[in-house]
Amino acid sequence: MTVAGYQIRLQRRASLPGWKAAMFSILAILFGLLLFSFIFLQADQSPKEIYKQIFRYAFFNSYGLRLTINRFIFLAMASYAFIIPFRAGLWNIGMPGQLYMGALAAFGVVYLLGGKTGDLAVAQPVVLVLMVIASMVAGALIGGIAGLLKGKWNVNEIVVTMMLNFIAFYFVSFMIKDGGPFMNVGGRGESFELPEAARAPLIAGFPYTLVMVFVLMIVLYVLFSRMSLGYQIRAFGKSPSAARYAGINPFKISVLVFMLGGALAGLAGYHYFGAVPGVYKIARTYGYFGDLSFYGMICGLISLGNPIATLFIALLFGGLSIGGRYAQGKLHLGFGVDYALMGVLMISLVAFQFFYNYQITFSKKPTGK
Amino acid sequence: MSKTKEQEPIELHGDIWKHIQPGEVILDARGITKRYPGGVLANDHIDFKIRAGEIHAILGENGAGKTTLMSILFGLLQPDEGEIYVRGLKVRFRSPEDAIKMGIGMVHQHRKLVPAHTVLENILLGHPRSRGVINVKEAEEEVVAIAERYGFKVDPRARVWQLTEGEKQVVEIVKALYRGAKILILDEPTSALTPVETERLLESIETMTNEALGVVPFITHKLPMVLTISDHVTILRRGKVVDHIETAKATEQILAQKMVGRPVIFDLQKPPSQPGEPVIQVENLSAKNNKGVIALKNVSFTVREGEILGIAGVAGNGQHELAETIFGMRPAETGKIIFNGQDITQLSILDRWKLGMGYTPAERTEVGSIGDFSLVENVAMNYYFDKRYNHSGFLDYGRLRGLTEQIIEEYDVATPGPDVKIQTLSGGNLQKIIMGRVLSRQPKLVIANLPAQGLDVGATEFVQRKLLEARSNRAAVILISEDLDEILSLSDWIAPMYEGHIVDIIPAAEAKKDIIGAMIAGLHQEN
Amino acid sequence: MLAFLIRSLEAAMIFTFAGLGELVDQRSGILNVGLEGIMLFGATLGFIAAKTTGNYLIGFLVGIGIGALLGLMHGFFSITLGVDQVVSGMGIWIFGFGMTTYIGNPYTGPLGLERLPTVFGISPFFFLAIIMVVIVWFVLTKTGWGLNIRSVGEQPSVAEVSGLKVARIRYLCVIFGGMMAGFAGAVYGLYYNPVWNYNFLMGWGFISLALVFFSMWNPYLLFGGAVLFGLLWQLSLNPQMFFPGLASRYVWRMVPFVMTILVLILISSKWFRSRWGAATPEALGKPYHKK
Repeated sequence: MTVAGYQIRLQRRASLPGWKAAMFSILAILFGLLLFSFIFLQADQSPKEIYKQIFRYAFFNSYGLRLTINRFIFLAMASYAFIIPFRAGLWNIGMPGQLYMGALAAFGVVYLLGGKTGDLAVAQPVVLVLMVIASMVAGALIGGIAGLLKGKWNVNEIVVTMMLNFIAFYFVSFMIKDGGPFMNVGGRGESFELPEAARAPLIAGFPYTLVMVFVLMIVLYVLFSRMSLGYQIRAFGKSPSAARYAGINPFKISVLVFMLGGALAGLAGYHYFGAVPGVYKIARTYGYFGDLSFYGMICGLISLGNPIATLFIALLFGGLSIGGRYAQGKLHLGFGVDYALMGVLMISLVAFQFFYNYQITFSKKPTGK
Repeated sequence: MSKTKEQEPIELHGDIWKHIQPGEVILDARGITKRYPGGVLANDHIDFKIRAGEIHAILGENGAGKTTLMSILFGLLQPDEGEIYVRGLKVRFRSPEDAIKMGIGMVHQHRKLVPAHTVLENILLGHPRSRGVINVKEAEEEVVAIAERYGFKVDPRARVWQLTEGEKQVVEIVKALYRGAKILILDEPTSALTPVETERLLESIETMTNEALGVVPFITHKLPMVLTISDHVTILRRGKVVDHIETAKATEQILAQKMVGRPVIFDLQKPPSQPGEPVIQVENLSAKNNKGVIALKNVSFTVREGEILGIAGVAGNGQHELAETIFGMRPAETGKIIFNGQDITQLSILDRWKLGMGYTPAERTEVGSIGDFSLVENVAMNYYFDKRYNHSGFLDYGRLRGLTEQIIEEYDVATPGPDVKIQTLSGGNLQKIIMGRVLSRQPKLVIANLPAQGLDVGATEFVQRKLLEARSNRAAVILISEDLDEILSLSDWIAPMYEGHIVDIIPAAEAKKDIIGAMIAGLHQEN
Repeated sequence: MLAFLIRSLEAAMIFTFAGLGELVDQRSGILNVGLEGIMLFGATLGFIAAKTTGNYLIGFLVGIGIGALLGLMHGFFSITLGVDQVVSGMGIWIFGFGMTTYIGNPYTGPLGLERLPTVFGISPFFFLAIIMVVIVWFVLTKTGWGLNIRSVGEQPSVAEVSGLKVARIRYLCVIFGGMMAGFAGAVYGLYYNPVWNYNFLMGWGFISLALVFFSMWNPYLLFGGAVLFGLLWQLSLNPQMFFPGLASRYVWRMVPFVMTILVLILISSKWFRSRWGAATPEALGKPYHKK
């Protein structure tokens, strides 16, 4: 294409420096938020005013901030659950199922210790450690199914993890509704409440799972940038055939990344249902948290699988979804503003993928002889 | 802009090819110039003419610009400058569709056929006849008729993946003819053919030219073929036309010199062989190809320290499966592999690396390297498990970087540095990194699968010298090559392969090129 | 019993519509994992259009139209912009999931229109599905268009040098796939389950996607698989019909999803692949760049 003597052409990028990638990611988010303004306009609201309200509530209101942090922890864990398989070129969209199973396993520990009806006979630290381990193991097991099937028979992991989501969803219903073993004695279609001893301690008003997020960030960063295993995962993700030639075992990697991812999603389930103040039960609307974990996919994609960048984006999205819910109630917007935001951000991100692959160059048209 | 009449090709095709006189200029390319992004001048004002009824060879080394030129003539690429005239009419090809409509057909070096489709489907693809409901019976008859006219045999119902390379090429030629090609471009037409198939092809080409076709085979280094078949030769070097010669006036020597630009001295220093202990013994080995068909059949051989075993053969005769099976990338159906006295048939690829085997695959970009990774990370492919670079699970990237710099230096790799993505490297430099990475482990066995294919003269020489160096360092080397000259100049033993069998194993000193040529063509069965 | 069979076949017809579109799409080399998102859009917008106008036809047209638009969008991202097809498909799914939740919420509840007529007790769409299966099979195997589509999905570079326009063919296929998915969604929302609720499609898009893998890219096998899944789905909704009192209803709801996984395992096994011959379009999921 030629415009005013300049030749404009598209070129595939040979490489993309980190700062540029970060810039495109930020632009993708801004573009998404801009697009989203149309929804506010359509509801006869000033986007500027609403964004102001959203951010003020999410980050500068002490109650809102606490909600934001709770959600941030959840999204960070869900993002990491997506990122680990993603770096191996595999798609984990089974975070909902994995987190349901994680939550169930954590409650299962309490149930087995007799916590459904009475007090626990075991000291609090022991209970907490068992709950955390159980949630991670359960998430790893259900995640591992997808990895096993992928590694052994090359079964499409997207469909499998999605199907597992539905299976786990109904399994939770089975456990907490219609007289299931975890059902609240009051029969309200939700799980029993955790007894005092099984409730997570708070650090400065925030659940202690916040610490886990930062530990995970460091572990994942070191894993991918320094460790042999991280190298193998990345090599497999970039080129499975080359990785195989280099002696990397595709089966081992598939199973491992899905188990690790599943474990972190399981932990996210433990966090929301077992560690967030004021929850301490698997509510009847548990499906909402499953849906919310898909934000993790967006975080992981926008951050290009970088565990540090992920945290900033998870914090932003956590705030947006909390603030969005608040704005929705306050301004009488329709239900599902946070869902719509998720959709718009995702599609903006996809459109921006273009810039990761291509660059537009301008050059003066060579003058012919 | 010149105001020459430019018309839509489709309207012209009907009558443009009527009343051709033998010897008249049917294609005239003037001043063709193509610049690639980054400023590489692939074609620099190239002029040449093709006359009806002649066979015109285009000669040049890898990277001389032949493929670019042919792609322009076929509409795959658009020139930055220059004009093309077909029978005096100026044309502009925006896509192959335009070129096909003007009567230009191309037979590609890397077969452009859909393997899963039948021969007929491949021939019909893109043909006006395939619009709407296809009348298979009628189309089959037409295709067989046109093939027979030129002495070709085709089975329209066969699936292309079942065909040999020679048969596939016939399909491509028939496809071009069926679409009414009057100028046929053949890109390295004999590179994958056995000598017998080559002869048959040359005969058919001569039949075709009698029908006033212009045929343009273009050939790199197969000088004898240029001399026997062509009427004119255009020689390219670095994107420029060096000379046009009438073949009758040329000799092999003259052509070679013009092509390379200097007197050709191709002399590898190969010290006498000093074989030691057996390194690898392969016994009765069989394996399947990707289609699940047994493609490697009961192969046995031994290679000793300080020896090169050259596996000769035309593509698709089991060499690839042999290499991958020895390296554990393909399961062995029967037989065993003994490496340094140990049965390794069931060991993993990683175990084989650790035991001291090394493999340089033919698919350098898909298997041999990871395009998105830096040179350092690519070198790490063979070192991430090595105790010297892996300290209890942590990789020593500092040391890996040092090693990479060492390889860049020793192998003379042209790169801005060790941290660029490897996909920015040229083919020759990529192969140098792969070879350097594998050989720096000082493996006891090196399997080199088509190590010099597609490289320019300089890089080829370099790679071959490194293989000889490994041999001097007491490694056993299995060299797989489709180039008989390469096999003859490097090997101590030569094993020609045909249809999955090793026909014979001959000491290099006693090997004769014509006998090996016959063996890989299946004419000389002997055990 | 008859009602059970009819419901099963009606579910099968919806899987068939969506699966056929995706099948053509994949035959041209484009994988669209966002089928669920397109179906959700088709179901939701079709539902809203029909509910507000009181006209079924408008509902179906809106469903087909939004499907075409989303197919076009997938084509634009994956063919023109060169975005990874899975990323783009996932984007369309999340976009559909998120947006329809917000857009459809005020319309939560039943459609409130007279039910569409049936023929011999079954929806006429069922017969349309069978006709479409035959048409798609015929076009793919017997005509030049089908040859072009299959070639573009196997070896786009070969198609290119044979004079075909790869991008144009792929665009037409993704748009067709989108229209079929949008229509399938509209049939779901306007006929099969005309009570809007958020995410009421329950993963039917993903099941349809699995069915395409199951079908080995053969329309007849796709239809067979769709009938099988239709039966399983009904069975899971009415377990008391065959196994009264056995297990909780929630356990039964898991069955079709478990079956999907089991079927996927079966068809991915070596045994199945060697028996039926794997016909995976070779270029599936790979973007094509001209040199």
